[in-house]
Amino acid sequence: MATNRSGAAQRPNGAPQTKVCQFKLVLLGESAVGKSSLVLRFVKGQFHEYQESTIGAAFLTQTVCLDDITVKFEIWDTAGQERYHSLAPMYYRGAQAAIVVYDITNQDTFGRAKNWVKELQRQASPSIVIALAGNKSDLAAKRMVEFEEAQAYADENGLLFMETSAKTAMNVNDIFLAIANKLPKSESGGGGGGGGAGAGARRLNDGDAPRASSCCK
Amino acid sequence: MNEEALLARASEERERIFQRYERGRENLAGQIDPWEDPEFEEYHKTDRYGFIHDERLPQKTAPQKVNIEVEREKKWVKMLGSWDSTATKEKLHRRIYKGIPNSLRIKVWCKLLDVNRMKSENPGKYQEMLKLAKHWSTDVRQIDSDVNRQFREHQFYRERYSEKQCSLFNVLCAYSMYNSEVGYCQGMSGLAGVLLMYMDEEDAFWALAILLSDKKYVMHGLYVEGFPKLTRFLEHHDKILTKFMPKLKHHFDKFGLDAILYSLKWFFVCFVERVPFSLCLRVWDIYLLDGERVITAMAYTILKLHKKAIMKLNDMDLIVNYIQVKLHKDFGYEDDVVIYHLERSMDELKRAKLDYPGPPPPNELPKRSLGTFIEPDKKSKIGQRAENFSETEKQTRATVILRREKAALELQELRVSQSDTVSEHSGVAGSGARCDDSVSGLGSRRSLAETSVTSTADLSVFSSSRSHAPDNSLDTHSNVSDDATGSDGSGICALSIQRAPSTTHSTPRATPHPPSISPLSDDVVRIHVTYNPLAASPSHLHPVSPSKYKAYSEDHHKPMSLGFYTSNGANNLPSDNRIRIQVPSEELLTPVVDSGRIITQRYIESHSELYDLK
Ligand SMILES: Nc1nc2c(ncn2[C@@H]2O[C@H](COP(=O)(O)OP(=O)(O)OP(=O)(O)O)[C@@H](O)[C@H]2O)c(=O)[nH]1
Ligand SMILES: [Mg+2]
Repeated sequence: MATNRSGAAQRPNGAPQTKVCQFKLVLLGESAVGKSSLVLRFVKGQFHEYQESTIGAAFLTQTVCLDDITVKFEIWDTAGQERYHSLAPMYYRGAQAAIVVYDITNQDTFGRAKNWVKELQRQASPSIVIALAGNKSDLAAKRMVEFEEAQAYADENGLLFMETSAKTAMNVNDIFLAIANKLPKSESGGGGGGGGAGAGARRLNDGDAPRASSCCK
Repeated sequence: MNEEALLARASEERERIFQRYERGRENLAGQIDPWEDPEFEEYHKTDRYGFIHDERLPQKTAPQKVNIEVEREKKWVKMLGSWDSTATKEKLHRRIYKGIPNSLRIKVWCKLLDVNRMKSENPGKYQEMLKLAKHWSTDVRQIDSDVNRQFREHQFYRERYSEKQCSLFNVLCAYSMYNSEVGYCQGMSGLAGVLLMYMDEEDAFWALAILLSDKKYVMHGLYVEGFPKLTRFLEHHDKILTKFMPKLKHHFDKFGLDAILYSLKWFFVCFVERVPFSLCLRVWDIYLLDGERVITAMAYTILKLHKKAIMKLNDMDLIVNYIQVKLHKDFGYEDDVVIYHLERSMDELKRAKLDYPGPPPPNELPKRSLGTFIEPDKKSKIGQRAENFSETEKQTRATVILRREKAALELQELRVSQSDTVSEHSGVAGSGARCDDSVSGLGSRRSLAETSVTSTADLSVFSSSRSHAPDNSLDTHSNVSDDATGSDGSGICALSIQRAPSTTHSTPRATPHPPSISPLSDDVVRIHVTYNPLAASPSHLHPVSPSKYKAYSEDHHKPMSLGFYTSNGANNLPSDNRIRIQVPSEELLTPVVDSGRIITQRYIESHSELYDLK
């Protein structure tokens, strides 16, 4: 049991070493947009119709493998109610990545997402990678926020953007992988740094199958 | 969109939501989306409290237990008949700790809370509040989305817009008007949800009102803006840990695990969905009898009973999961056993004068009179996010951050004294060590007050061993912290402690990072400990082969701090210039380095014994 806890140490002897990077990621957004559901889908591959509402914040981890690098996400899933807003900085301080979530069937949640982005831009670490997730894309019939509108906003602000569905798993692993790709893997240039880091172009896993972590097991 | 349109939309939304609950499930035929309702399959089983389980229930209650419960019921019925008698008062404590028979819980809870008194003193109030809510409550959307997620695996709440769901919605909406300072706060749906399993709507409303404002419980302070009571109780909880379970506290600190992360629901909803429901009810029984002390003692009891298991978990994720999820599914002890320990904990804490953090200060109590209508302001009507924090919120945040950093600092000091010891005595390290007196190991006990904001922030970054990006301790972003946390890439990895210039002894949290400290100024103490895993690990620590280290140690032969743990802290060093390192459990923590930073810790299996390092 003791030996099986950390990502990189698991390779059998002789296999090529994988570099392990650990990143802190925070989920922000209005209550009930599906933050916890996205995390649950990404970490456990499950969806609960009746996900309990988050009080305070929840913490989970998930490890994904890019081809030469193992990325361990430490995920902070925050509570969406405005009253808990005052605790949020505790969670996003020091975060290298954030997913700001809104619900495509509710215009107000998109407005709030923009507020979160603003707050992050103002107060989080300047190098933070921000992704915008338009969740509940399976409910397209009730759509109130257009894809193009959100895409345009994301482009203007340099955000990654995807419409996701925690329910069908669409784009859930993808958005985390896109973030993993965009995160600088090493600041000092000693490791894989520079080239691959900023571009965010490398897509190593495509498709929606929840296999993000399987390669590390 | 202009303000009026926003207001109109908000009120339209409120009315739409209200309407659906008013019509209820029967009258919404065809209008409830299939995904709003859970599938109900035959093989699901409902337990005696009404929760539906995916599988068959494990076993029938043993016949003896049923008999005991029947006997108890008889006694309780008698007692309820003469509630105010001295005989009842004498027996009440003992009987409640044994557990209230489930069939009589509703009656006893109402008695304990004195619901009837509140109700008869306020005739018509509940309906009045409910009516007001329909026109004014600004919390309707939040309540709606929480009702939709509360106890959905319970038969009462399973179906969308079922009778109990509607009651839950009503109680919370009415309460949001009754207590305009609290309104609705996530968490309250759990409280009201439990009450409604036993009470009708109006009783549940008054029970909720009593839990929030009666001096025995005053949960008001938990839910009101800034959560002042939560902060106070968490601090008290930390105090208890420090006194009675310092090792566990240190274990939590090591992983940057603040109590707020694992215990929030303990305090907010009195253990709902954190311990099995049957146990939760037992704790509620006692809570309703004895009040706030019970929460504090139960928090302590849970950790006490599970300390061993938690100490074995070496990952924040695992610890949180154990405390929040595993213990909810399976507590590992019989309810009676837990209650026995709870009672003992209460005595133990009382003897240490730690059973009660003291009466609530004014900011935890309702200021406005309850039940008086106050029209919400435009902002909350529209539901805009506040751009800035209120003073209370700022304070809360500062307190919580301060607590975390203090924990990190204490931990860091411990590590400083340990790794410093290593460098002084063993020669394993020392490549670039510029040791200043104040950090010279053993006696390093600087208090937080003597430390600048910068240093605490740095330490918290370092001690959690994970941050790559700079960490800002306050809203204002400061570039200084970038430098100080080592983004110069030079592999400052062992430690970066900045000593506060002796003139800045002011309040630690009040200011952003002082802009003048450069990372290489004389105020900076850096200890570099060269990391050489092969030298550091005794040879019999196989099966980790040296080749495993290569990728890390060759290119990145960077300074590194060693997570060594001495058996009795650093104070009991033997005089023969050898360091004895006792591996506390079966694990020796060895950090994995990337570009001079610790990115993960790996564990090497080993035996618990003393190693001599030359
Ligand atoms: N149809 C659909 N429903 C979803 C999706 N994601 C989440 N939901 C539902 O939306 C509701 C809210 O989801 P949560 O994950 O609890 O929302 P949250 O953002 O974590 O909310 P807070 O914890 O209150 O901040 C739940 O009932 C989910 O089942 C999705 O992709 N599609
Ligand atoms: Mg949530």
